[in-house]
Amino acid sequence: MLTHLFKLMWNKRRTNSLLFLEILLAFIVLFGVYSFALYNLDRYNAPLGFQTEHMLGVAIDIDDEMDSLDVLRLQERIKRDIRTLPGVEDVTFLGFVNPFGGSTWGIGGDDNGFDAHVTLTFAERDYASTLNMKLRDGRWFEEGDENEKYPPIVVNGTFHDNFYPDAESIVDTIFILGSESHKIIGVVDHYKYHSNFEEPYPHVFLPPQSNFTGEPFQQLIVRTAPGRTAQAEEPLYRLLVDATKNTDVVIWNMEADRKKANRPVVIPLAIMTIISGFLLINIALGLFGVLFTQINRRRAEIGLRKAMGATPAAVTAQFVGEVLVVTVAGLLLGTFFAVQLPLLELLPIPGKYFYLGIGAAITTILLIVALCALIPSRQAARLHPATVLHEE
Amino acid sequence: MIELTNVSKSYRTDTIETLALQRLNLSVPDGEFLSIMGPSGCGKSTLLNIMGLIDEPSEGSVVLAGQPVTSYNGSKVARFRNEQLGFIFQSFHLINDLSVVDNVELPLLYRKMGGKERRRLALDALERVGLSNRATHFPNQLSGGQKQRVAIARAIVGRPNIILADEPTGNLDSHMGGEIMDILTRLNTDLGTTIVMVTHDERMARMTHRLVRLSDGERVS
Ligand SMILES: Nc1ncnc2c1ncn2[C@@H]1O[C@H](COP(=O)(O)OP(=O)(O)OP(=O)(O)O)[C@@H](O)[C@H]1O
Ligand SMILES: [Mg+2]
Repeated sequence: MLTHLFKLMWNKRRTNSLLFLEILLAFIVLFGVYSFALYNLDRYNAPLGFQTEHMLGVAIDIDDEMDSLDVLRLQERIKRDIRTLPGVEDVTFLGFVNPFGGSTWGIGGDDNGFDAHVTLTFAERDYASTLNMKLRDGRWFEEGDENEKYPPIVVNGTFHDNFYPDAESIVDTIFILGSESHKIIGVVDHYKYHSNFEEPYPHVFLPPQSNFTGEPFQQLIVRTAPGRTAQAEEPLYRLLVDATKNTDVVIWNMEADRKKANRPVVIPLAIMTIISGFLLINIALGLFGVLFTQINRRRAEIGLRKAMGATPAAVTAQFVGEVLVVTVAGLLLGTFFAVQLPLLELLPIPGKYFYLGIGAAITTILLIVALCALIPSRQAARLHPATVLHEE
Repeated sequence: MIELTNVSKSYRTDTIETLALQRLNLSVPDGEFLSIMGPSGCGKSTLLNIMGLIDEPSEGSVVLAGQPVTSYNGSKVARFRNEQLGFIFQSFHLINDLSVVDNVELPLLYRKMGGKERRRLALDALERVGLSNRATHFPNQLSGGQKQRVAIARAIVGRPNIILADEPTGNLDSHMGGEIMDILTRLNTDLGTTIVMVTHDERMARMTHRLVRLSDGERVS
């Protein structure tokens, strides 16, 4: 029976080429969408490593003329005063790179005997507690760190996993950063600060004393109690304008920034999903049409097969089988193209997602095709041989 | 044994009702070679369809192999058509997308049988109708007479007990027609195949055991 199907489909290859191409196209599009979506879903599901809800980001302008000790005193006073505001739970200063702000500071070299590129955040003592970050090893910055021989740094898990994959712990390891030796004092679980879809990347937190830019920390993050974020903005603004004697105070909502930062992935993903949805509907309808006309044109053949002893089930199997033969042929060619992506490592995405994408695309197409083929085929199987044979 | 008792068949369309067969009684014992004659439209093909379980009578009873066909369920009908009956249609009904030999194999496709065996039997049947050299051709590359012979090969390939032939020599010259008659006669005498043949040719009819004449759906002799 299978040989019969192959032969019949091969003999009808010209009629079937359109369906074949349609399946091939659908497979390639679906494969792309699935791979992209599955990859990003996994990225999205990996934790950020810090709290974004009920958080406010603030940028202020501190007078350039002030000497550094005064700046420090001002910063301490601002923090103390903000903590007394109603609804505020905690506050921290940070340097230029704030979560979802869109900027990245990076540094790299082979001073450590291996190629090490890292991104940087300038943070202070209160940063980890304000953002509710978890450490998987060691500790965060503390008072008295500035007296250590080597300036301390805190790194993320990816830093540990990429640069010291065999080390049980990297706490107390000396790491050279920008030709200066630092001591690793702690490792945070995760720190995805560009978007939910960010790839893990080695990251280093530098304390204020390692701030080689010379500019004071002029950004803050304020954690509020749930439901009190919006009310906190107004008094926060007034307090900061008073303290800096400067109206240049910008306050933003970190959760809103997070969502905004996800858009470059979410929007194309939504568009791709809609397009492939339409494509699938189109293919389903096309398949319906093709099958109905084909089966109509072959009514006499159906009658003949039944007169020769084909059961209704055999007729159904025949037509579903025919479509599946063409579909599988299209899927095979599609898969051949698709596996080139992971095999040739053309994209910086792990191969696993492509294989999952291939599997998901094949499953979807087979399901749709089988469903679309079943209805007309069953209708064909019910035809009465005397009627259809008489029609010719 | 095929037994038709008081069989009537009417076709109803939107406007008219055609009475194709009227209270027809006919029994065909096993091993008989029966011919049916009658003017066009008198119900000959309808009669064959009813005997071949392709159509159902509007009234009356059909008994095949000792059992009324109304007692047959779907799969038994299919099996009976497949194993017991060989049908030669008036208008061939070949599948144009299949080669000649694949067309002949068709009834065997619905049997449990290996592909090699199928092919062997199909080539054998083609040999008997003198078409071995056209096995890999497609139906649209054949003449009417050649198509007729493919249809005959397809009917005999499964070695059925009953062959229902609707004008099997209608499209053939008298020489080829004679050869087809030889094949059918030999099946009848050598294997005891029951044959019911519709024909317009008195000479062919005279070569069979018995002749039944129809007129306007009624049996006249
Ligand atoms: N499926 C059908 N639907 C409607 N009418 C039909 C159908 N089959 C046959 N008829 C009618 O029944 C009558 C008998 O038809 P049938 O095909 O049995 O004739 P026939 O004796 O085989 O004629 P011919 O020698 O031309 O083949 C005709 O009037 C025909 O129009
Ligand atoms: Mg007829």
